Amino acid sequence: MTSPLITVDKVNKYFGPAHVLRDVSTHFNVGEVAVIIGASGSGKSTLLRTLNRLEKHDSGRIVVDGIEVTDDHKQLDALRAEVGMVFQQFNLFPHLTVLENVMLAPRRVRKTPREEAEKKARELLERVGLKDHAHKHPFALSGGQQQRVAIARALAMQPRVMLFDEPTSALDPEMVKEVLDVMKQLARSGMTMIVVTHEMGFAREVGDRILFFDQGCIAQDAPPEAFFGAQQNERIRAFIGQIAH
Amino acid sequence: MQRLLSPWPVSWSRQQRSSATMASSAVLLIVILWLLATPLSWAPAPIGNNAQLFADGTRITVELTIVSGIAGVLLGVLAALGKVSRVLPLRWIASFYVWVMRGTPLLVQVLFVYFALPEIHPLLRMEEFTAASVALALNVGAYNAEAIRAGLLAVPKGQIEAARSLGLNRWFTFVDVTFPQAFKIALPPLVNNIVALLKDSSLAFTIGVVELTNAGSQVKSTSFQAVPVFITTAIIYLVLTTVMTQISDAVERRFDVEGKLA
Repeated sequence: MTSPLITVDKVNKYFGPAHVLRDVSTHFNVGEVAVIIGASGSGKSTLLRTLNRLEKHDSGRIVVDGIEVTDDHKQLDALRAEVGMVFQQFNLFPHLTVLENVMLAPRRVRKTPREEAEKKARELLERVGLKDHAHKHPFALSGGQQQRVAIARALAMQPRVMLFDEPTSALDPEMVKEVLDVMKQLARSGMTMIVVTHEMGFAREVGDRILFFDQGCIAQDAPPEAFFGAQQNERIRAFIGQIAH
Repeated sequence: MQRLLSPWPVSWSRQQRSSATMASSAVLLIVILWLLATPLSWAPAPIGNNAQLFADGTRITVELTIVSGIAGVLLGVLAALGKVSRVLPLRWIASFYVWVMRGTPLLVQVLFVYFALPEIHPLLRMEEFTAASVALALNVGAYNAEAIRAGLLAVPKGQIEAARSLGLNRWFTFVDVTFPQAFKIALPPLVNNIVALLKDSSLAFTIGVVELTNAGSQVKSTSFQAVPVFITTAIIYLVLTTVMTQISDAVERRFDVEGKLA
């Protein structure tokens, strides 16, 4: 639980005049589930997106699994293959079937033969409870089902770490649970996960660490018992109170 | 008109119906080109006695459309990529090309390729058919570029982010994710351009290509009967555009995974 898989060192990021990440330093360990919470605009999603270079950081260093995050395309493609990402808006490929969505990256990036990729994809779809939907197109699925396909698609690359960017924020309330259940199952299997979310129940139950973001800084980094239990910080207490209701 | 040529069983899947329509329309087009002279020869003079001339002109018109249509789509893809490229000189070249081709009359372009290019360099001397194809392809390519560019821009950014985050390189992201979605969006305006191209191919007349309009005009000059001649000419164009729309309609249905088309 202690070897760092991702190291973030004094990272700064600006959007125009807005300073969205201020000297952020932290690290994420193998097998750890880190949950990042904070108000919108606090920089939590931005940090997640800098880890696989969907956003470019302006200064500082990020090292993922020994690979430094830079502009080098080959290096970047290799890095991204090891880092799975799940988006708020699912971002499934609408012109491909569920099965093709899951098979695409292994076939193209890992050069996995078709039969093998299909077998693996069907296993993953079964794991997220969607094996009967393999030949549907994404539009025919509910939001919760689409998000579970998106998780299976990311897992198909057998990543070292999974990034979740508000995975349940675009879902109807009754579908949140099915996605969280898949994520919990994934956490129990030992996957390294970094999750940006507003789901406090998930954070408390599954998280090994809670990182609270405020105005571009990590204001607190604590185990869930300490974070949700005897919270000393007035501001964080107010935030937790607001979210819980 | 839509259903007229696609009387397929309801039990067939969308793909099967679409493939069947594409195949049958293509066959129909070949049959029309091959046998057109026969029904035309049954018509009274001046059509019947000039049936072969009309049939040959029709074939040339279709050939012009197919050759410059295919080249024009390829040019359109290249120019669209140029216009959205991150490399500034490529953006300049693509924008310049679209600007010139859309901003000048096609007739001037046809005349320029045929008469002016050989004066600039003897190697640029082309036969009438080739010159007409080049001018038409360059022209339709510019309009296609705008249609395809609109399609490329309409693909949500999240699609590209998802593809890149899976480790797909830029090439696979384009080929597997961006282009298929952009092409679907660009298809209706592309079809529009190709139908316009079929009709605009009549401008090849001006440099002496004996395509359908030229054939009609020749028959009119010898028979002095403008009404039956140009009605026949117009009907043949109408049949060709109808068959073409039929094919493109089937292509559109093939891409319609969401069942948006009734």
